[in-house]
Amino acid sequence: MKKNVFLLVITTLFLSSCSKNEDNEVYEDLPNLSERQLAGGATTIFSDNSNAFSTVAPNATGTDFANHAFGDAQFEQAFVTAPATVNGGLGNIFNNTSCVSCHVKDGRSAFPSTINNLSGLLLRGSVPGVSINGSPNPIPGFGTQIQNQAVFGSVPEARYQYNLTITNETLADGTVVSLRKPVFTLVDSYIALPSNIMLSPRIATPVFGLGLLEAISEVNILLKQDINDSDNDGISGKANYVWDPVLNQTKLGRFGWKANSSSVLVQCAGAYVEDMGVTNYVFPNETGFDQSNGQDGLNDDPEISSSILNAVALYCKTLAVPAARNITSIEVRRGAKTFEEISCVKCHTPKQQSSFNAIASISNQTFYPYTDLLLHDMGTGLSDYRPDYLANGSEWKTRPLWGIGLTQIVNGHTNFLHDGRARNITEAILWHGGEAQNSKEKFKQLSTQKRNELLAFINSL
Amino acid sequence: MKIDILKLGILTAFVITILSCSPNTDDIVSPTDKNLEVYKAVLTNIGNNVISETLKDFSLKANELKLASDNLIIGNNATLTAVKNAWLAARVPWEKSESFAFGPVLTDGAIGVIDIAVDSWPVNTTSINLILSSSTVINTALLNTNNEARGFHTIEYLVWGTLGTKTASDLTSRDVLYIKATCADLAFRAISLYNYWLESQDNYVANLINAGQPNSTIYTTQKSAIIELIDGTSGTADEVANSKIENALNGGAGGTANPDLDESQYSQSSKFDLANNLIGIQNIYLGDYNGWDGKGLTDIVKMRKPDLDAIVRFKISEAIDAINVISGTFASAIFNDRLAVANAQNKVLEVQQLLDGDIKDLLSKL
Repeated sequence: MKKNVFLLVITTLFLSSCSKNEDNEVYEDLPNLSERQLAGGATTIFSDNSNAFSTVAPNATGTDFANHAFGDAQFEQAFVTAPATVNGGLGNIFNNTSCVSCHVKDGRSAFPSTINNLSGLLLRGSVPGVSINGSPNPIPGFGTQIQNQAVFGSVPEARYQYNLTITNETLADGTVVSLRKPVFTLVDSYIALPSNIMLSPRIATPVFGLGLLEAISEVNILLKQDINDSDNDGISGKANYVWDPVLNQTKLGRFGWKANSSSVLVQCAGAYVEDMGVTNYVFPNETGFDQSNGQDGLNDDPEISSSILNAVALYCKTLAVPAARNITSIEVRRGAKTFEEISCVKCHTPKQQSSFNAIASISNQTFYPYTDLLLHDMGTGLSDYRPDYLANGSEWKTRPLWGIGLTQIVNGHTNFLHDGRARNITEAILWHGGEAQNSKEKFKQLSTQKRNELLAFINSL
Repeated sequence: MKIDILKLGILTAFVITILSCSPNTDDIVSPTDKNLEVYKAVLTNIGNNVISETLKDFSLKANELKLASDNLIIGNNATLTAVKNAWLAARVPWEKSESFAFGPVLTDGAIGVIDIAVDSWPVNTTSINLILSSSTVINTALLNTNNEARGFHTIEYLVWGTLGTKTASDLTSRDVLYIKATCADLAFRAISLYNYWLESQDNYVANLINAGQPNSTIYTTQKSAIIELIDGTSGTADEVANSKIENALNGGAGGTANPDLDESQYSQSSKFDLANNLIGIQNIYLGDYNGWDGKGLTDIVKMRKPDLDAIVRFKISEAIDAINVISGTFASAIFNDRLAVANAQNKVLEVQQLLDGDIKDLLSKL
């Protein structure tokens, strides 16, 4: 025991001899972030340039490595009107023409500069009530997603339109932050729209690390649930349960802004058919196949092979997670402490573990996504007033924060939240309400220095 | 044993000290470090004299293509030939620019993603033909919602035709309207891209030149910017070898040639695309552009491993030569000169492996 104390003292002396600026380090009890550097466990890549989201997991080998490369090429393929010698199958109605057009550099879409150009933002829609298997109730003649594009000669379901409302938040140091909120409506619909539609904007998110999130054991996610807030900390956390058309059963939801998709495969299959109008073995019918503008009249379904769909799903599952940066910086470590103190960690759970998985590279990993994959009430400011399985309008899944500080270098913008309304991380935090209201208020009260430390920490992820 | 543990403890403490101190010397080189000046000179030259100059040429050539399209007259083959030549000339800097396809070209900015609009492939021939046979006004708004019916390859389809034999008397008035609109759209995007980089406009080039400066938000270290450049070159070599050549050479059933997957198939100019992709890699590596001889990645590599530097320079030249000696057009060579195409593919692959392997390893340790 005495020896241990002796060693501690020696270590302390060495540490404190490093630099003047770090004198206070050992007395401050700051979180040690060293283990969190490997944000994706053994799938972590040390990259801080525009390719930070686009690299195969360094531990992927053999057929996984080969299929990743095949999936990578498929992810970039643009689709065209069928029949075609190459990549036929687009539409008839769609939102964009390739995976990569929305997930540019495997990353995040910006809020569109021109709302009805091809972009990474789309609108989900439904009418009150619940459809089979608990899914949102489709808008008759439109389904649950509004395709605002169509191949030439066909008519889009509708065009998007939005108005921005602006509000201001004032922080404790006097900084005034202007917040914008887009409110969407539909125009030029191909048939009359019911009056009771509910719309929800969704923006394309980064696609790396998804295999790890899929491999978190269900029990680990459910253990964090606190539906009735029994611990009385103001934060509940609720799992979504959604229909899985591959397994033909209700499963825990993990992906999408409302955790309304149970697996990467289902998410990809849904994106092919709903976003691009490309049928596949999971969804063999064209979106809008029963609509006057939805059927291409060809007997060519599925329009992509099962090997393509499976490879694209595997591609997303085996993309490397970029390492955290600046983890030894005192500023970042102080920010990490504040992140804990104002309870961000209660939903943005730093650490997760994957269980055994058939994909060896994502099997049994410890990683740091900063999400609990649960739904939380985020308040009326963020509410879309549209239920999605068990998620009500104000409930959203905790977004992973890994890689968030690389958004600028990868995608050239810092638009966040489900509709891209936030223009930087500060705005995104200030939109937090509901269960996160207390954390937001504490954030507003932070000194300028502490706020900058917190942002430095988030940007280190 | 206890003593050993004590020693081990002290050793560990030393190691911790070194580890916790050394990142400062690795990442933030003192201003007096000569290496830092070399890195800055390399990044400045590549930013100003390779990247910006390539994009300047692209904007000029794309504008010449637009002007040629404005002069296009049905039945006048000289005007059609002028458009074809201008198209081929604009492809040269564009294909060279693929080795630095990062930043504004792949940012979803004010005019959408430039790369996707300029070089979308395959083209949606059904949509193009329907647009031609309709009375729809062909303007930017139409092109913005028909991405695979605009850009280089749509112009190529309209100008050369499916068989590459289109003459001026085959042109319809709708063809001419479409060609003018797409060329104007391309020129607008080319000029926008140049302006994103231009010092006097959006000055993206500053991110390379000032990499590692305290106020740098994109590249917080010079190494980060240098690795961006290396990733750009190896990524291009990867695409040339494993997509552009592989798909056309072996993309058919049973690993046979598939001319449908030959990218510039209407103009039969894919061989030039491939060679210019490799020249773009060479430009970044050497810091050279069209006769300009400046500092490039070579200047960093040869300070440490002159032998490796010599190998890389040789391998890039060898790959360019291997593409150039493919006989006839790429479209015919994938059937009739398969060994030469496969040889070129191997040579490009060797470049890719060197850049992504030994060179990246070396530069990652700066």
